[in-house]
Amino acid sequence: MKHVDIVSGVIGVLIGAYVLITCRSFPPDVVMKIGPAFFPEILAWGLVVFSALLVLQAILGKVSGTFEKLSLRQKGTHRILLSVGVMIVYCAILKPVGFILATIPFIVFFMFLLGNRNKFQYLWVPIAITIGVYLVFEKVLVLSLPNGLLDFIL
Amino acid sequence: MNVNFDLLVHSYANIFTLKVMFVIVVGVTAGIVVGALPGLTATMGVALLIPLTFGRPLLESLSMLMGIYTGAMYGGAISAILIRTPGTPAAAATILEGYPMCKKGLAGSAMSMSLFSSFVGGIIGCAIMIFMSPLVSRFALEFGPVEYFALAVFGLSVIISISGRSIVKGVMVGFFGLLLASMGLDPISGFPRFTFGFSELMEGPNFIPTLIGLFAVSEVIANIEKMLKTQKVKAKLNQYLPSWSEIKRSTSALIKGSLIGTFVGAIPGAGGDIAAFIAYADTKRSSKTPELFGTGLVEGVAATESANNSCQGGAMIPLLSLGVPGDAVTAVLLGAFVIQGLQPGPLLYKEHIDLVYAIFASMVVAQFAMQFVGMVGMRFFAKVIMIENSILMPMILVLSIIGSYAMRGSVFDVGLTILFGIIGFLLQRYDFPLSPILLALILGPMAESNLRRALVISSGHGSILFSRPIAVVLLVLAVIFLVLSFLTHKKIERRLAEMTVRDDAALP
Repeated sequence: MKHVDIVSGVIGVLIGAYVLITCRSFPPDVVMKIGPAFFPEILAWGLVVFSALLVLQAILGKVSGTFEKLSLRQKGTHRILLSVGVMIVYCAILKPVGFILATIPFIVFFMFLLGNRNKFQYLWVPIAITIGVYLVFEKVLVLSLPNGLLDFIL
Repeated sequence: MNVNFDLLVHSYANIFTLKVMFVIVVGVTAGIVVGALPGLTATMGVALLIPLTFGRPLLESLSMLMGIYTGAMYGGAISAILIRTPGTPAAAATILEGYPMCKKGLAGSAMSMSLFSSFVGGIIGCAIMIFMSPLVSRFALEFGPVEYFALAVFGLSVIISISGRSIVKGVMVGFFGLLLASMGLDPISGFPRFTFGFSELMEGPNFIPTLIGLFAVSEVIANIEKMLKTQKVKAKLNQYLPSWSEIKRSTSALIKGSLIGTFVGAIPGAGGDIAAFIAYADTKRSSKTPELFGTGLVEGVAATESANNSCQGGAMIPLLSLGVPGDAVTAVLLGAFVIQGLQPGPLLYKEHIDLVYAIFASMVVAQFAMQFVGMVGMRFFAKVIMIENSILMPMILVLSIIGSYAMRGSVFDVGLTILFGIIGFLLQRYDFPLSPILLALILGPMAESNLRRALVISSGHGSILFSRPIAVVLLVLAVIFLVLSFLTHKKIERRLAEMTVRDDAALP
């Protein structure tokens, strides 16, 4: 936990420092004296102080809890990176390709990634989930989902 | 402002329509399913299902939200009893007696008692809420910016001090959440802060996509990393209502559990998990046979389940009357109310009293719907918790992404959900609690606008914060909570470790 806490603390300090630097460019409020930078500055100082405290605790060895390391060599990490990549691609193609055509392969991918090897389920689960969600949002809730390439029939 | 009985009766007339009853039943069913699924908390469930209320008339939306909330609070007990995995943190204490009952072949009895006690707890919690929240709101009408600022600080300090194992991490996450909440247009001058040039961030990170990312997508990512396997249920469910002798044995546990739950729920920050453990400890202490606790006693299930469901009524008291959420689930509900154009707080009682009573009525009706749906669907819900993760997780992911997209038709919001999913996953993996972020997103704007308003009134003198007695009490309490949790943190951790070891040894 020690290294993680040091890294987390440093990230916290960096976020706080970024906020403090950015706040300098905020205009002061001449009428009310307290401008838009007032509150974020207090918060940023709070974040910096407690992040530094976390680093200090870690250095002094006053940390508790254990966790499994997140290493680039682990299969779990590969799965996470792959899935985040696929989520970003899905997000990018959602509008141009449309909900139905983008979602079916998206579900197939995640079923495979999560170890499903039941061929029969691949035939109906992705279609059932996609059509189910589409019908609930489009027809029941009357919220529009992107039709994309299927715009001519939907 | 006391209870208006005419309005109370009239509000039921509005709820007893086919459409509203239908959405309550749908909400309760969806809530139970999500609550029952291990790993999906009630907070996540409500967040995930909020998009289902978009585009519906106000009364239907509110009723559905109440149904989802009620169902999700109960659902956690199903997996706690059947597979020794609490569906929600609030059901963790139910494992202590519920699972041993299941192992003894009394799963039906445990399930029916958990449902019945959830119903009793829910009704008692609602009754107290109906009588208490108008009184609190009358008291709160005199609150000014100083009191509201102090209330926000108090709410945040409590949630920070009870969530997570490290108080430093809790405070860090709280500040991080408050900084997120300060993104967007400054509430007083309108100056855009930390928008990184995105017009979509002018009002700060959109609440629902942020929430779904933090609580739902993060859970999916965690599952993808660990590849958790689904457990099989082998219990026989042949009882839908507890027997008369079981009810008689559990009456005291039911009543005490409900009262403890409502009281604990009403304290900002404290939720169903704490209430259930307190109620369990109390029932064990007052029992004539405390040594038998842990072997599968029906009154233990009655105590924990009545406590965690009555919390719902308790948590709604500060939400409706002060506009301050009692726990993480009500923080999500507050966000959902705001999306519907309602700002909970004392003014809600002045301007939309009819809606307040409609919320009361729909919550009561939701308890009956929960009892009904729970009985009819008991076997179905037991099957639902066996859905393979390889099917469930993609489904949650699609619902999360589309739920975030549907509100504004914005792909930017989907990106935000994925980003917060990654942030939430990393935070949880390294022992940072997520609830303070959620509360900070809600309470941050309230704290800032009221603090600045107060300072404008006092021409910048900070002494105004200590000029009002209620505010001083709240601020002092906030400091006491934080200091106490700093001091007792190690002791609690040691006890938790002991409990886990004992629990693991007792239940193979």
